[in-house]
Amino acid sequence: MKEVLVLEKISKSFGGIHALEDVDFSLLEGEVHALLGENGAGKSTLIKILTGVHQKDSGKIKLFGKDVKILNPVDARYKGIAAIYQELSLIEDLSVAENIFLGNEPTKDILGTVNRKELFDLASQKLKKFNIDINPSIKISELGMGQKRIIEIIKALAIDAKILLLDEPTTGMSKVEIETLFKIMKDLKKHNVTMIYISHHLEEVFSVCDRATVLRDGKNVKTFEVENLAIPDLVQAMIGRNLNDEFPKRRGKPGDGIIFSIKNFKSFNMKHEIDLDLKKGEILGISGIIGSGKSELALGLFGVDKKEKGKIYIENKEVNIKNPGDAKKEKIAFIPEDRKTQGLFLNQNLLLNLTVANMELVLNNGVINSRKRKELSTITAEKLKVKPLDLKMQAQNLSGGNQQKIVVGKWLCGVPKIIIFDEPTRGIDVGAKTEIYNLINELADKGTGIIIISSEFKEISGVCDRILVFRNGKVAKEMSAEEATTENILTVALGG
Amino acid sequence: MNENIIGINSSKGNKIRKLLKGELGLILILVVMLLVFSFLSPYFFTSRNLLNITRQVSITLIVAIGMTFIILTGEIDLSVGSVAALVGVATAFTLKQTGSIFVAILVGICFGAVLGLINGVITVYGKVQSFIVTLAMLGIARGIALVWTNGKPISQLPANFSAMGAGYIGPVPISTIIAACVFIAAYFYLNKTKHGVYIKSIGANREAAKLSAIPVNKYRLLVFIIIGCLAALGGIVTTSRLLSAQPTASEGLEMSVIAAVILGGASLSGGVGTVLGTLLGAMLIGVIDNGMNLIGVSSFFQQIVKGVIILVAVLAKREN
Ligand SMILES: Nc1ncnc2c1ncn2[C@@H]1O[C@H](COP(=O)(O)OP(=O)(O)OP(=O)(O)O)[C@@H](O)[C@H]1O
Ligand SMILES: [Mg+2]
Repeated sequence: MKEVLVLEKISKSFGGIHALEDVDFSLLEGEVHALLGENGAGKSTLIKILTGVHQKDSGKIKLFGKDVKILNPVDARYKGIAAIYQELSLIEDLSVAENIFLGNEPTKDILGTVNRKELFDLASQKLKKFNIDINPSIKISELGMGQKRIIEIIKALAIDAKILLLDEPTTGMSKVEIETLFKIMKDLKKHNVTMIYISHHLEEVFSVCDRATVLRDGKNVKTFEVENLAIPDLVQAMIGRNLNDEFPKRRGKPGDGIIFSIKNFKSFNMKHEIDLDLKKGEILGISGIIGSGKSELALGLFGVDKKEKGKIYIENKEVNIKNPGDAKKEKIAFIPEDRKTQGLFLNQNLLLNLTVANMELVLNNGVINSRKRKELSTITAEKLKVKPLDLKMQAQNLSGGNQQKIVVGKWLCGVPKIIIFDEPTRGIDVGAKTEIYNLINELADKGTGIIIISSEFKEISGVCDRILVFRNGKVAKEMSAEEATTENILTVALGG
Repeated sequence: MNENIIGINSSKGNKIRKLLKGELGLILILVVMLLVFSFLSPYFFTSRNLLNITRQVSITLIVAIGMTFIILTGEIDLSVGSVAALVGVATAFTLKQTGSIFVAILVGICFGAVLGLINGVITVYGKVQSFIVTLAMLGIARGIALVWTNGKPISQLPANFSAMGAGYIGPVPISTIIAACVFIAAYFYLNKTKHGVYIKSIGANREAAKLSAIPVNKYRLLVFIIIGCLAALGGIVTTSRLLSAQPTASEGLEMSVIAAVILGGASLSGGVGTVLGTLLGAMLIGVIDNGMNLIGVSSFFQQIVKGVIILVAVLAKREN
């Protein structure tokens, strides 16, 4: 088979951080090649060098047998390289169709007037071709995370790419959308498109990839043939040790007292009223496919979306939550699902990001105590193994998974009674995931009530004591941890 | 262990680069300008002239500090010059009516606060872009000042009112002292209280700020009130300096003020900027103005030079 792309001794550093060091990589025509490694291993950096977002410090890129320089993303597209980045790049206020053809719009005349009718027709065709049921004229902001990802992929495919780079495309997708993605990928493969596939969900590698290359601390570890390979081999190569138990066992048990309950609760953004009880020290999972109304419930409970009716009780006392400030006063914490738009202050340093939600804890008579503030952030960052641990660094310079750790950490330095996690481990590597599950267990053992919203069924069934499966904005079924196998959840989520 | 070492290294490297791009770079430019003008004019580098520069920039600085806050939250206030003029008129009017400097200043500041509040309420709760709201206020406040006075200055104010703008304590101009106090208070407020952290967060990502349980709208409104008060203070000092309230005073003030803030490293998209940067930006503009006057550059030409220097400075600090 032909090598379409060869990288030789690619190095790249940012300031003093070596993101990539002498990395070799080759891509065979028509293969799907997984690129794996811990958070901060350098995967996204490699992708960005291939699309001209970053320039390599040294090394060689050979594309279709020729030495090339990739100047910028437009140049990369021109050379047949398309990419879906880890962070979404869609414009929220534009329609699906406009986003798909952004910078590439069909025109009517020499002045370049956009032919809107053709734009929407073409977009419909594209969507239909891949069996995607999304209206091309609605705004991106109205879509869920998984749907946005799908649109991002369709957008990348609006040009006829020979090489497609997918940086964690399945984050925020539920099973159903992942299947759609895999179908698209298999279809592309038939048309001889070569792909690099990055993911922290190792089982996906076995569904779609032919080979896998593992990076660690910016260096090559090994390239595997996926046939006759098992997950533990990959984990060993990624983190340098075995991982016995992805989902650590809980030591404690949910207590008897109800810490949090809602009756007939509905925000303006929810389709139906919801009832729910959460015990002290219980880990309650909420699952369902995208659009089943999970995040809307969280936004309602935290006072972000206006309440329409119903009551909220904390330790059997009715509380009135009109905004996130009220929720915080009642010691509720909420980790939102989309780190870029809801969670992070990208152009601010880690110190601000980690303490902004808990400034009271670092004040002395209203004056910020810098030492306390540093201490508190350091403790949180260490607990979550944020790397590099540099509190002065801007959040946007962290790798995706490390950014996610910051979002999770933001609320943990306080002492919340109830924590709502919306997709907490999005983009986090296998090792660090286990650390987060440990942390969640610890919190629960201390009596904190925990709600985990996740479209990752494996995670839900692995960590939670009890699971609610949502469908169409309602609780379709309640399951115990034993009942909640991935298959069972999926059946209920899809309406079986 | 290893990654910690890497972290520290990078932070040092980044720090030097950041400093050069930020405050240190500005200080360098400032020093170069001081040297150039000292070389060109023997009078330039005398303590008297240097203090004089601080007096000249004091009003710009006071208002620019308010503008730093506004720009940090991702908004803009174009109405500061008009608000300063209207407040000057209101202050002079009150002074004539009551004869009390204290009451006059109080009324002036309240005037500014209310005008800021109006800008804020329409921007925050009316959900109109601050650029548009304050552009309208720029016309309205100026218009009221002109109508109120019939376009004529209010003069013959009591002589002891001139202390704020024109007085000295020892060799130091009182307006310099006022600006220094505002600077110190703002520095403390922005760096040592939770308000400062919230203001930056709101500018960096409003949605994330809301989800971090920050009362976003309250703080956005507060910042509009702050800049209203500081524009008012600027207007009062101007009136005191001239010992007369001109309804046409402070025209174009917004431009030099915004220039100082942007020179100081703030970003119009919010979340980035410091009062120290603004101080340096204002000083730089003041030094250039003063130096060019001393060496006799024509005032028409001065505008070109100033514009070019601002462009060069901003280009040099640009992130790639
Ligand atoms: N613009 C930047 N400035 C400074 N450091 C950066 C920048 N971009 C990336 N880095 C650093 O380079 C290293 C590699 O980051 P990269 O994003 O490639 O990791 P990754 O393998 O994609 O991780 P993840 O699984 O978390 O997405 C990290 O240590 C990161 O902090
Ligand atoms: Mg990445």
